[in-house]
Amino acid sequence: MSSATDNSAYNNKDNDASLDVNTRSTNAQLPSRSFHVEQLEDRDRYMTLSIGPQHPGSGHMRIIVVVDGDIIVSADPDVGYVHRGEEKMSESRTFVQNVPHIERPVIHDSSNILYSYCLAVEELIGLQTPERAKYLRAILAEIDRIQYTLYWLAILGIFIGHSTMFMWATADRELFVELADMASGNRITHSYIIPGGVRNDLPDVFADKAFKFIDYFERKRLPEYHKIFYDNPLFRQRSEGVGVLSRSDAISLGVTGSVLRASGIDYDVRKREPYDIYSDIEFEVPISKAGDSFARSILPIYDIQQSINIIRQCLAKMPPSGQIRAKLQPNPRGPPGEAYRRVESGRGALGHYIVSDGTPKPYRHKMSVPSVRNLTAMPHLLKGARLADLPVIYWSLNIWPVEIER
Amino acid sequence: MEEPQSQKSFRNLIDPGAGFGAFVGKLGDALVKAIDRPLGYAVNWGRIFSLWPVHLETGCCSVELGAASSPRYDLERYGVLEAFGSLRQCDLIIVLGTVNRKMAPRLRLVYDQMPEPKYVIAMGACAITGGLYFDSYNVLPGVDNVLPADVHVPGCPPRPETLIQGIMLLQEKIKRDQLK
Ligand code: SF4
Repeated sequence: MSSATDNSAYNNKDNDASLDVNTRSTNAQLPSRSFHVEQLEDRDRYMTLSIGPQHPGSGHMRIIVVVDGDIIVSADPDVGYVHRGEEKMSESRTFVQNVPHIERPVIHDSSNILYSYCLAVEELIGLQTPERAKYLRAILAEIDRIQYTLYWLAILGIFIGHSTMFMWATADRELFVELADMASGNRITHSYIIPGGVRNDLPDVFADKAFKFIDYFERKRLPEYHKIFYDNPLFRQRSEGVGVLSRSDAISLGVTGSVLRASGIDYDVRKREPYDIYSDIEFEVPISKAGDSFARSILPIYDIQQSINIIRQCLAKMPPSGQIRAKLQPNPRGPPGEAYRRVESGRGALGHYIVSDGTPKPYRHKMSVPSVRNLTAMPHLLKGARLADLPVIYWSLNIWPVEIER
Repeated sequence: MEEPQSQKSFRNLIDPGAGFGAFVGKLGDALVKAIDRPLGYAVNWGRIFSLWPVHLETGCCSVELGAASSPRYDLERYGVLEAFGSLRQCDLIIVLGTVNRKMAPRLRLVYDQMPEPKYVIAMGACAITGGLYFDSYNVLPGVDNVLPADVHVPGCPPRPETLIQGIMLLQEKIKRDQLK
């Protein structure tokens, strides 16, 4: 238990403009968030654990849990370890210069986070995207959704000690990374979608290779995932009935994406507010009524199936040639105004809100990211759960910690 | 201050004479010189192929570390396997990108807890100079003010091949290490 003086010492250190990191820091300087334990009467029964940031089951953040024996009494996510001030940085760069750093919060789902930014900028400036570019955007967005989900699944495997899942999912992810690499020239940070269209056209052999990889993945690999992972009795025991999020809680906490769909709510931005070509494309939205960690873990796999269908349809329907980028003047600017557009990312609804005052730079830029919404459900779900269930509940919420902090 | 009699006699017992001590010292020096090279080679050879990086994710480059540990790139064939256990087993920190003002004291704390010898790889533009975030209010301009980096791996994020090359460079460096 730390005293109030420790806290104030830390705060003073924080306010100090020159952070002297060369001196040894001790535990007393780290902030103590155990105040809610000190207020309890019978406080010797409880123990405060700090999970992260240097912990295999925490990602880039820290979770401060108070346990009573094996039961979690309270869980407090402590974020800010990757906060980089993206929103402030946007204000000092033009709309086009913003493209590379906006995809960084979630680099393995970069196309989706850029997609909504570009939609918002296009609305502000008044740009028309060419038809072919719309299809190219959808293809890259779906490829990124698949490789994001596979990476997420790999980490889920690591968290629950299932290393085979890590190996399989990261190996299969390379197929899609290679496709995106082929289309855009970079493995994961493509900057492929830009305001007004896409950066470059696909190489000729892309379609053949894409069909080959997708067929292989769908026929050979996906059924195996069910065999080795989802039908595995150990995994089912650890996730079924764990961390149940009821339908009404899901609505009131405002979760999104696969977490919301696992609680039985049929909501997908691609269906509800179709953007670009998604109104012409047929796909289903898988939902589940269970609301537990198992449902949250398996729904993204069904989403992958749908993404594969979307890529197939896009490749078939795409106009064979044509313009891929609208003409932009050097420093594009639009009339003063604001725009909010959102897309369905790998984690859920992701939106960008941009206010423009008529200059080439945004006046205010706000990212509304799904990880934050899903994080709000975490303290609620962890309360009363066992400590051993923390990794499954935490990671099945489909959170990417870097995106929380932006 | 005068030493008590009992301690004096004790010192005489373990240090029988300055002449003998000097002789032993010289002999030791000669011995170390003789076996320094082969012993150093053997010890360094052992270190090269058992690099255990700490699991501390500071930025988004961690995605490429995950890809580098995947079957396609398989960092493990170079002896690099993320240690999920204790910091006492680790001898390598791969700084995975951005280090911000909240993470920096923790990073140093982790580094201080690791036993010697320890090595640092700064991965990504962010860990080298601040990268894309050079003008951000919360990001340190490179990790060099916090940790002594042995190898810088450029890229944003570096491809797994680049990371592997960085690790091979670090192994070259360890080979040339002198025994202390
Ligand atoms: S170098 Fe690039 S990928 Fe790596 S942490 Fe920095 S922004 Fe992220």
